[in-house]
Amino acid sequence: MISDGLEDEEKWLAAGVAGLQQNSFYMHRALDSNNLKDALKYSAQMLSELRTSRLSPQKYYELYMRAFDELRKLEMFFREENRRGCSVVELYELVQHAGNILPRSYLLCTVGSVYIKSKEAPAKDILKDLVEMCRGIQHPLRGLFLRSYLSQVSRDKLPDIGSEYEGDENTVMDAIEFVLQNFTEMNKLWVRMQHQGPTREKEKREKERSELRDLVGKNLHVLSQIEGVDLDIYRETVLPRVLEQVVNCKDELAQCYLMDCIIQVFPDEYHLQTLETLLGACPQLQGTVDIKTVLAGLMERLSNYAASSAEVLPQFFQVEAFAKLNNAIDKVIEAQDEMPVDAVVTLYSSLLKFTIHVHSDRLDYVDRILGACVKKLSGKGKLSDSKATKQIVALLSAPLEKYKDIDTVLKLSNYPHVMEYLDDVTNKEMANVIVQSIIKNKSCISTADKVESLFGLIKGLINNLDSKLLEELDEEDFQEEQNYVARLIQMLHNDNPEEMFKMICTIKNHILTGGTKRLPFTVPPLIFNSLQLVRQLQSQDENATEDEAPVTPKKIFQMLNQTIEALISVPVPELALWLYLQCAEAANDCDLEPVAYEFFTQAYILYEEEVTDSKAQVTAIHLIIGTLQRMHVFGIENRDTLTHKATGYSAKLLKKPDQCRAVYACSHLFWVDDHDIKDGERVMLCLKRALRIANAAQQMANAARGSSGSVILFIEILNKYLYFYEKGLSQITLASVQSLIELITNEMQNENSASDPAAEAFFASTLRYIQFQKNKGGAVGEKYEPIKV
Amino acid sequence: MVLVLAIGDLHIPYRASDLPEKFKSMLVPGKIQHIICTGNLCIKEIHEYLKSLCPSLHITRGEYDEDSRYPETTTLTIGQFKLGLCHGHQVVPWGDLESLAMLQRKLDVDILITGHTHQFKAYKHEAGVVINPGSATGAYSSLSYDVNPSFVLMDIDGVRVVVYVYELIDGEVKVDKIDFKKAAAT
Amino acid sequence: MHFQNTWLPEPFSRETETLTKALQKSFEIQYLDNINFSSDEFISPWYFQVNAFKPACHVAVTFSDGKTRKQIHLKKEKGQTVMVPLFQSQENISGQISIEPISGKKLEHNGIKVELLGQIEMYFDRGNFYDFTSLVRELDVPGELYERKTYPFEFSTVEMPYETYNGVNVRLRYVLKVTITRGYAGSVVEYQDFVVRNYSPLPSINNSIKMEVGIEDCLHIEFEYNKSKYHLKDVIIGKIYFLLVRIKIKNMDLEIRRRESTGSGPNTHVETETLAKFELMDGAPVRGESIPLRLFLSPYELTPTYHNINNKFSVKYYLNLVLVDEEDRRYFKQQEITMLRLADAS
Repeated sequence: MISDGLEDEEKWLAAGVAGLQQNSFYMHRALDSNNLKDALKYSAQMLSELRTSRLSPQKYYELYMRAFDELRKLEMFFREENRRGCSVVELYELVQHAGNILPRSYLLCTVGSVYIKSKEAPAKDILKDLVEMCRGIQHPLRGLFLRSYLSQVSRDKLPDIGSEYEGDENTVMDAIEFVLQNFTEMNKLWVRMQHQGPTREKEKREKERSELRDLVGKNLHVLSQIEGVDLDIYRETVLPRVLEQVVNCKDELAQCYLMDCIIQVFPDEYHLQTLETLLGACPQLQGTVDIKTVLAGLMERLSNYAASSAEVLPQFFQVEAFAKLNNAIDKVIEAQDEMPVDAVVTLYSSLLKFTIHVHSDRLDYVDRILGACVKKLSGKGKLSDSKATKQIVALLSAPLEKYKDIDTVLKLSNYPHVMEYLDDVTNKEMANVIVQSIIKNKSCISTADKVESLFGLIKGLINNLDSKLLEELDEEDFQEEQNYVARLIQMLHNDNPEEMFKMICTIKNHILTGGTKRLPFTVPPLIFNSLQLVRQLQSQDENATEDEAPVTPKKIFQMLNQTIEALISVPVPELALWLYLQCAEAANDCDLEPVAYEFFTQAYILYEEEVTDSKAQVTAIHLIIGTLQRMHVFGIENRDTLTHKATGYSAKLLKKPDQCRAVYACSHLFWVDDHDIKDGERVMLCLKRALRIANAAQQMANAARGSSGSVILFIEILNKYLYFYEKGLSQITLASVQSLIELITNEMQNENSASDPAAEAFFASTLRYIQFQKNKGGAVGEKYEPIKV
Repeated sequence: MVLVLAIGDLHIPYRASDLPEKFKSMLVPGKIQHIICTGNLCIKEIHEYLKSLCPSLHITRGEYDEDSRYPETTTLTIGQFKLGLCHGHQVVPWGDLESLAMLQRKLDVDILITGHTHQFKAYKHEAGVVINPGSATGAYSSLSYDVNPSFVLMDIDGVRVVVYVYELIDGEVKVDKIDFKKAAAT
Repeated sequence: MHFQNTWLPEPFSRETETLTKALQKSFEIQYLDNINFSSDEFISPWYFQVNAFKPACHVAVTFSDGKTRKQIHLKKEKGQTVMVPLFQSQENISGQISIEPISGKKLEHNGIKVELLGQIEMYFDRGNFYDFTSLVRELDVPGELYERKTYPFEFSTVEMPYETYNGVNVRLRYVLKVTITRGYAGSVVEYQDFVVRNYSPLPSINNSIKMEVGIEDCLHIEFEYNKSKYHLKDVIIGKIYFLLVRIKIKNMDLEIRRRESTGSGPNTHVETETLAKFELMDGAPVRGESIPLRLFLSPYELTPTYHNINNKFSVKYYLNLVLVDEEDRRYFKQQEITMLRLADAS
């Protein structure tokens, strides 16, 4: 059915176009031969095609545009006729002889345009006559197009200020009057359109009607372009007249569109100076009109205007824009009891945006708006309406965007209350927005109270324990969001150690309730914040009596110990181990031996009981050895215990090469120049043990035939030998070095083993190094000189 | 002429919230041909950030890196130079030049780049160079006090490399330059 | 306020006839054809008597101010038009009549005269002429003509109260009739048409026509024509104001209708023609709309209103306002206007 209708419409359009083209062909022929009589005859016939009632607005527009083009040519012809001496007055009469009103009206407008240009009569009289004569077309679609044609041909001929058609009896008021009248008539036709045709097609008709709205709105645009429309004229004439038509037409679609149109086409300062009038019209509109969009549009414009330059702000104060808008919104919300929540929030959100742009210093206004919003939302529970939710997010985001400072936002007492009305997911998204805003703006949050408020605000990210929600999360999104939280924690800082410690404790209290999934993200930044604080305390007054001081490294380490423990249950033992080692070293720096020992013990327990992955074990051993090597706080006994265990762990690693490397690394635990630890025996024990492991590895490799790689271990050990040889370790003899070189050389020449370029390069560079050291001369050179390579 | 950015130990987000703005504004896409990163980025977002600066990205694994696919060491050749990359926590004693030199010999590279200590270092050693670009965020380190954010830019041209060190000291970026020319191969 | 004063007892009547498409079409073309010839006079085909025999001589009538007097078209049968001079009442009609025997033969006659005739012819009473004016001038006594001879003639201050008119059922003509009376050979008669038009002054009283009409609870309109008396080149200005609209109107036209009545008593013949159909409105107005009217009369072939001409016929003009609804029902209201000819409008 519908497709048939469309097909038929195509046919009718094609027929119309054909008729139009045929007549325009004859019209042109007549124009070419200067035959006015025929030109008029065929142009009238051509225009008769526009009398059709069968086309939808869209198709009718196509037809109209073709006729429009032809009329332009006809107008040129008239103009030439006029120049050749043909009286335009006579032409004006002549076209009125046409029997059919639609062609007659189009021709009249066309000649009228030439008539105005000829200046043989005052422009205002001709305009008035044209706009009046068009009344004969009462058919909405045809009337709208005719009048839009009139508007089009008259646009450049209005007696505007500065126009050649202005002067003496033609004033800008005549131009305004003309446009206003045409606007009024067009709007009436447009509104009336909804009543044309059967009721069942109402929806389609309203859609079509909506497509035509710009024809009507164009008049407002023309009005706004008239130079002579200054503020006074706008206030006294234009706005009241336009609003009168808008209100009186009692049509939802038209009111919505036209209000928006008024707001968009006229200058901001005009709106500002006529706020009362404009806002006063709102309650008079139909109940179904989407006033929130209208007002929101207005406020958005004014906000942008305010944001454009600080110089315009006094205007806003002068007209008390905030009070007026606030008042208008209250009235609208009050009047429309059934207004949906999203509309209410949209209004508040727009007002808020307006306020922060105009009265950026009036946080009380902002809070008042949020408070009004809370009041309206109260008793409704969490919102499930997605539109309303979106609007609340906009409402809450605006202060963040404007102030770029969470501090200011935290001062808004109603802000958290508004957030409570968001559903969990959105609440979390909003929290995300807040966090990102802080990070982006590098806002400084520097008191425990603020941290407390902030974490209250973003609790959706910190300690929402709805496990069901957590499970449904996309893992990547979750990680991203928690990484932002971690970055946020990193930004919380105060130079005062006491306050900083309070902040850290506040953060800790919040994050420890965050559940196992979040802890791996939130604990590390807290630990490092704390270690930083420890550093700060170290550098400050070291003489303060520890027990009385509100914050001491000891207290911090105590807190850290508990905090890291929380990670074990996650379980992320490696991370906990790493952190224990960091703490141990920090405690070492503070000369707190028992604390450091405790941390090491914790780390060892984790290593023994929890770290099961072999790769993680290797890393853990490196970190343990690396850290332990740097520890100076331990007494001999503690140190022995720890080094003994470390070498023990090393020798028990899963893979031989890892064992070998860990064991020779352990040698450094017994030779620390800085701390005057020089236990050559135990260094040698480690190196020899490493050699044994390398041997074992080589035998295994031989057994596996062809798999090489262990020779590289020998070269590594050779390098360690050289290292300690250089340090002057007496246990390392020239002979032992020499025999190791020989061992490697043999090994490399062994035909059973496949060639290993990496090993060869390593060996070559090691030999080069020996040569390099020989060449150095001096004590080192002497030491190396006997080594044969 | 090839520009190589050496950067590492950002420790975002556990020890720093972001790169310093001044560094961010210097590091723009399209200028750098290679990035070598010693590790401890630590998260995907930072990996993507580096990738956005330059698609040729070489990373070794730090102990805090969530991506376990990064290798422990890697090498690459740029111009006449062979470069070796390792985070450095595996080399005990940490930051010890002699021990690093051993790794340099093992990898058989002209330039060894390692991190972990958060202290910018550049040594000419034997026939090569050992560089530590420091921590780009100036992250906390148990090894170093008063860490300044730093990174290294290497301008490699044939057998010549100019190492620029960018260090952020009290909010100002300081640049240092070290010239190095590779000895003719013997 | 509604119906007290202006409501006329004659309500809108429903007209069942619909205008044929052909008429619509011919009207359109008529308007277009006449665009440049608005001063032209239309004369419909008309039965013309021709002498069946070969004429024995040439007769030519010339008017004394023939070269300066205004000539206008007069249509004859078969679409021919001739140019004839224009006179008005109480003018002197003078000139010369020259008679020339064919190829030198002598022409015997029993006398030559010229008559000025004003005639009314009714078609239903074919062949019967009523001469309401008849003047005679004898030109020659019986004799013979051997060669061309010219006779002057003059009718002074001729009373010609009626205008030349060509209607549907009646025509009114003025003619000079030259008769050369002969015996057996048969008389030679020659006619020379001329046209008479009379001019009226501007009427001293010319009220507008204003009226409120309607169908109860369905349609109420008020219309206003600026005058009740229009001259032939006049413009009708007016407006139609819709007080109540409960029907879906499709369009509204203004028609100019001519009512020609001939005869009297039981023999009265009335013929109504629609001379103009002018569309005033397209589409359905709503309450409160006012539609302007501006109709130029010059393109149409109108005559003045004629009241009871010589007790034979009358011609009256009406404006007919017609509204057509979406179901093609017509609602109309007819209003007589007086047409008159102004001197300077010719």
